[in-house]
Amino acid sequence: MIARRPEHRVIDVHAHLGPYSLFHIPDPDAATMVSVMDRTGTEVTVVAANRAIQQDARLGNSQTLAAVDEYPDRIAAYAVINPWQSPERELDRLADDTRFVGIKVHPSLHKYPVTGARYAAVWEFAESTGCPVLSHSEHQSPYDAPALFETVAERFPGAPVILGHAGITPAGVDESIAAATRHGSLWLEVCGSQMTGPLICSMVEQVGSGRVLFGSDFPFIDQRMSLGRVVYAPLTESQRQDVLSGNARKLFRWRPLPGERGVGDD
Amino acid sequence: MSEVTSGWFDARIVTGAHPAGLLPPTDADSIATHLERYALSGALVSSMASWLHDPIAGNAEASAVARTLAHRGVRACWTAVPATPGELDSLTTLVDRAIDNGVAAFRIHPLSHGYSPGLLTDLYAALQPHHLPLCIDSAELGWSDLSSIAAAYPELPIVVSNLGYRKLRELWAALTAHANLHVDLVDFASHQGIEWLAANGLADRLLFATGLGVRDPGESIARLAWSGVDDPTVRLVGSLNAGRLFSAGGAV
Repeated sequence: MIARRPEHRVIDVHAHLGPYSLFHIPDPDAATMVSVMDRTGTEVTVVAANRAIQQDARLGNSQTLAAVDEYPDRIAAYAVINPWQSPERELDRLADDTRFVGIKVHPSLHKYPVTGARYAAVWEFAESTGCPVLSHSEHQSPYDAPALFETVAERFPGAPVILGHAGITPAGVDESIAAATRHGSLWLEVCGSQMTGPLICSMVEQVGSGRVLFGSDFPFIDQRMSLGRVVYAPLTESQRQDVLSGNARKLFRWRPLPGERGVGDD
Repeated sequence: MSEVTSGWFDARIVTGAHPAGLLPPTDADSIATHLERYALSGALVSSMASWLHDPIAGNAEASAVARTLAHRGVRACWTAVPATPGELDSLTTLVDRAIDNGVAAFRIHPLSHGYSPGLLTDLYAALQPHHLPLCIDSAELGWSDLSSIAAAYPELPIVVSNLGYRKLRELWAALTAHANLHVDLVDFASHQGIEWLAANGLADRLLFATGLGVRDPGESIARLAWSGVDDPTVRLVGSLNAGRLFSAGGAV
């Protein structure tokens, strides 16, 4: 049975904003993103502007904040930290501006390993505050292969790290599951071109439904591609709701997402 | 169940096992379950063996599923390769045999099967008078080859599949240059891609398809059901375009 309207509450923890040079994205603006969210039952999306990851972290982070100002109840901001573009400056900005709820890093794009010294301040900040860090992760990447995050987790066990795409490939998902099974600070996020419902079920079965997060990568990729895999996967309704929104509410406690205070806050 | 979301025709299913194990194998029973779960009116089924093992002999597996599920609107899609002694005698004979078997479309894999698409002119010529669609994954040939085929055989319907999210610039150029080109929803992953085509007057070139067997069907289901296009456009993409395109070999 196919419904024309969704029936689940959704929080999308992996999204972008704006154009990208390698291909055309129709209407990549915040207003269109919110219109998609209205159709998919998405309450809140956490965004890192494409300009911030692709070219200029500072300008891109400002674009993200402008989207938050336009839709404060629907869009939340990641601060992109590029290890080559004054990471301390953007970390200071993050600390001072409560519109940021998390950190986004893209080691493969910025060609710098998550275990390198230039990222140490990110992990230290996350450990001292509880600020979640979403990182791109990619199987066999010298910069952010899932196994590399085990080193991060060993050095900074209090830093909550979201493995974006959970390694991307099926073999990468297996590697991500192994890492998350050994380290409770690692969370798995489900978007990616090669992701499937069965792979998401594997994450839930092996790591538990409490540390798997819905993300879509939209408007880089259409949000409904990732959402359909979760909605139609053979999960229990409780597991599905954990993945679609419950876990995000638990994880984003340092600065709670719009619509609800963080779990555990008084 | 909403009326506009029932009766969609799944324009791409692949029967058989995939060696990389991304998804469970699809047989007639699992395809029947798929049709039932989503209230689909039918499907076009090709064979994993024709893609990844034995191109011509594998067609029998697609036809076997189509025969088993004919009452559910399932039709076979056959695979062709260049005529080569010991493998295939004649492409025109293959097309004739396909039509006799009620086959609704052909699929080619030039990259996977190691040949130039220019070696299949006999196939294109044989398909065109029957308006029997030619289906191709975008990774299997370049845009220039695709454009050449579309231009040389303007009455041959061509369906491009597995576009991903990075190809809209090329797709736009191809669709506007060739009225016989279509694109299906299998991994049609561009943000607002359906809405973008519809807004530019090209919704009649878009076909619902899940890629069951090689892609997660939930992608295309959610993509169309929760799209921002109106109900008539959903119906057009979900079933009407397929009805027009695949009617050559029988009703859809």
